[in-house]
Amino acid sequence: MDELYLDNIDEFVNDHDKIVTYKWLSLTLGVHVNTAKQMLYHYLDHKRKESSDPLHATYLVSGKFVDNGQTSHKVSVVKEDQLEDVKSKMSLIVSVHVYSVQKALLKDSGPLYGVDYDAVKDNLKNCSRYSAIRCASAVPRSSVELQQARHTQPAPAPEPEHKKSTTNGDATPASKPSTKPQKSIMGMFANKSALKNQDSGKEVKSEQKEDAPVVDEPKSKPAAKANPMMNFFGTQAAKKTVKQEEAAPSSSSSSAEQRRPSSQPEETHAAAAAAAAAAVEPPKNSKKDSRSKTKRMEDSDSEEEKMDKKKRRRIKKPEPDSSDEDVIPDSPQQMETREASPSPKEEVEPVSQSHGNCEMKTRKRRRVLKSRTFVDDEGCIVTEKGYESESYSEAEDDVPKDPIPAKRPASSKPDEKKSQKKASANSNKGTKQASIMGFFQKK
Amino acid sequence: MFSDMSAGKPGSSLLCRPASGDQDQGPVFERVSPAYSLCSERYTVGERSFSRQYAHIYATRLMQMRPLLSERAQQKWGSDVLIRKLCDLQTGEQCCIVGTLFKRMELQPSILKEISEEHNLLPQPARVKFISDTDELILEDELQRIKLEGNIDRDKCVTGSVIAIFGAEKNDGKFTVEDFCLADLPLQTPRPELTSDRFVLLVSGLGLGSSDGDSMLGLQLLVDMVTGQLGGEGEQSGAASISRVLLAGNLLSQNTQDKDAHTKPKFLTKKTQAGSVEAMRLLDELLHQLAASVPVDVMPGQFDPTNYTLPQQPLHRCMFPLASVFPTLQLASNPHQAHIHGVRFLGTSGQNVSDIQKYSSMEDHLEILEETLRLRHLAPTAPDTLGCYPFYQKDPFILEECPHVYFSGNAPEFGSKLVKGAEGQEVLLVCVPDFSSSQTACLVNLRTLTCEPLAFSAFSAHGEDESEMNVSH
Repeated sequence: MDELYLDNIDEFVNDHDKIVTYKWLSLTLGVHVNTAKQMLYHYLDHKRKESSDPLHATYLVSGKFVDNGQTSHKVSVVKEDQLEDVKSKMSLIVSVHVYSVQKALLKDSGPLYGVDYDAVKDNLKNCSRYSAIRCASAVPRSSVELQQARHTQPAPAPEPEHKKSTTNGDATPASKPSTKPQKSIMGMFANKSALKNQDSGKEVKSEQKEDAPVVDEPKSKPAAKANPMMNFFGTQAAKKTVKQEEAAPSSSSSSAEQRRPSSQPEETHAAAAAAAAAAVEPPKNSKKDSRSKTKRMEDSDSEEEKMDKKKRRRIKKPEPDSSDEDVIPDSPQQMETREASPSPKEEVEPVSQSHGNCEMKTRKRRRVLKSRTFVDDEGCIVTEKGYESESYSEAEDDVPKDPIPAKRPASSKPDEKKSQKKASANSNKGTKQASIMGFFQKK
Repeated sequence: MFSDMSAGKPGSSLLCRPASGDQDQGPVFERVSPAYSLCSERYTVGERSFSRQYAHIYATRLMQMRPLLSERAQQKWGSDVLIRKLCDLQTGEQCCIVGTLFKRMELQPSILKEISEEHNLLPQPARVKFISDTDELILEDELQRIKLEGNIDRDKCVTGSVIAIFGAEKNDGKFTVEDFCLADLPLQTPRPELTSDRFVLLVSGLGLGSSDGDSMLGLQLLVDMVTGQLGGEGEQSGAASISRVLLAGNLLSQNTQDKDAHTKPKFLTKKTQAGSVEAMRLLDELLHQLAASVPVDVMPGQFDPTNYTLPQQPLHRCMFPLASVFPTLQLASNPHQAHIHGVRFLGTSGQNVSDIQKYSSMEDHLEILEETLRLRHLAPTAPDTLGCYPFYQKDPFILEECPHVYFSGNAPEFGSKLVKGAEGQEVLLVCVPDFSSSQTACLVNLRTLTCEPLAFSAFSAHGEDESEMNVSH
């Protein structure tokens, strides 16, 4: 019975060529560490008497060591041949025992660590079961207690989080009003052009990427509501929105505020835009003020302004973000396609604006934009819809509107990008028809 | 001494055949459970707002320490010594002024100088020490500042220390120092008498996650010894009297601070994991082994995944899924303060000491530690050169009560000293060495208030020529 372990160790050392450390043995055989150490010693002794097979061992020596007047307690793992040497250097030996037994001569103590590491890793729960020290307080907590501990910790954590969220929330509502006025301004110009919708849509998309999803909803709302209005204003507005949209994403800054100033300079190019920008600048905080101003701007919007905007849009189109657009807007055709594609948005924008409430307007506008994204998600269906509304120019944009409330999932950035790309690709088809409109507006 | 105690215990030798199977497994010693109380409220930063200026710390520091220093000044130079504010100074009058020291150093790295276009300076090379001969000492109080000269060792002083100076203002507008005094040790509640030896193990600088794996066996030996697997019965029973383990910072190695993320392009680093992830997993397993057997306090250090500014907040428990199951795991802040068996421990992971070392002529960590104790401030160079949170109500680094054991981690070598104060205080100063390079830990005996190093070594292919204390590579 007692000798079984000898055979076990024999098997490990000779057959498997393992390095048998006391810890590994104790975990494998399930015995106390001290017993394992003694077993190793016995095996070593036994084998050496029996045969002259080369067996090597490492020992652990610990004791008091005096070094330059500094006494310390030293614990070291030594090879067998150094054992006596090290023992003699110590002033007081506390313990000596076999650390490991292996067939090959170890040059380095690195493998010893590896063996122990593996042994402990496999038996992580039992690592202290066979040790000589028991700690009464080291009882693993039950899952209930763990949850309680976790709840108490998250209690302070949510407080800073709430604060953080409020700060973030402050940022997002701040960005919302900033974008809303922007869009409203854009909407003012864009009311007449679907392009604007697309622009603001793109803006929304990029904003969606950055802002919390909360922002998406209000944006999408105005977008949806703007749809019916789109019919009133036609493609001219669309073109304008395109310009603004491009202007907006071109800034490519994460904060809405940054976008606002960047798009604002571009807006100033347009005569009407200047006023709108000025109008937007001051009332950053109040949605209503800006929107009311933009509303006024919209009313005062003239065709020439639109034309100017369009022109400018054309000039500007080449500048900005090519990342989303496959087609670089150099050719008027391409421009027109882009104009066409945002047309549904623009149609939605004026629709939203027509609905009394300023906030409602922006929300509708935004909703339109969002849904636009969505629709793209499904594939070419979106662009076709956009295209449809554009060609009819008075058809209700119920089609794009319906999917909007239906789907409101957060679209991922790649989706948005894809959708934008698809939109641009598809918008090419629409350019031909849009070009006719553009022709008229050029005057 | 630990060795003596462990050797004294009787126990069967392990160099013999195991006893016959029917007997009990083996001796099992009970770990002493310490009376432990954590005093960490000072160093936990609740809601963090960095919109404040750092000047408030200095204001509150001076405000808190002025009465202490006035008292010390009166004790030293007589109760009738004039304590003046800088605005009330009269030339030639001998008086005492209390204020914050500021050392103007030419070589102190200044971001303004670096980016200043008119200087066209190249970024300064990394230096070990930033002191030079052109340094100037200035004393600041609430309203004014004045240059100091005279009987004061400029190279030993650091910015941010609050001191009282005795001297007179000369005609040229500088203050000539005749003598100065520090706030010195605060009052100490006497520690309880312990009947038997109780030990606390202090380790720092585990350096996990480094590419160099030589220190890992030493670490494993340490864990095995503390958990009672290593050694003979005597040693194991000795290890059972280690009532607590304190890990004082730099659990992760500097190598895990991955700077590549900034320099390499994203597409190269996309799938790679930060070095600290693997290192934290190793740490978690290590802590699991330790916490299963002994109460552990874990303090973060300079290279650990927590905030950079002092006071560093405790590591989050979500990083230790295996080890946080045990209630014996205590995640502590840096600086850390706790009562163990009635003995007050206070210490840091060494950032304050190494920062003072850079800006003064002092080299020995133990000497610097004593200096901070005498200044009654844990980190006088914060926030000037040491990152710190902008406190404004009170400065938590001022020592209000004298600790019994005052330690700092990640020192280049072990050092310990017993300091006695004027009012009968006794403080054990311990410089905990960096384990990854020195393979040495510290054992503090709470009964006698002494400390001894605990060294681990293994053999390597390089042979036995090197000194056995340091496994240096």
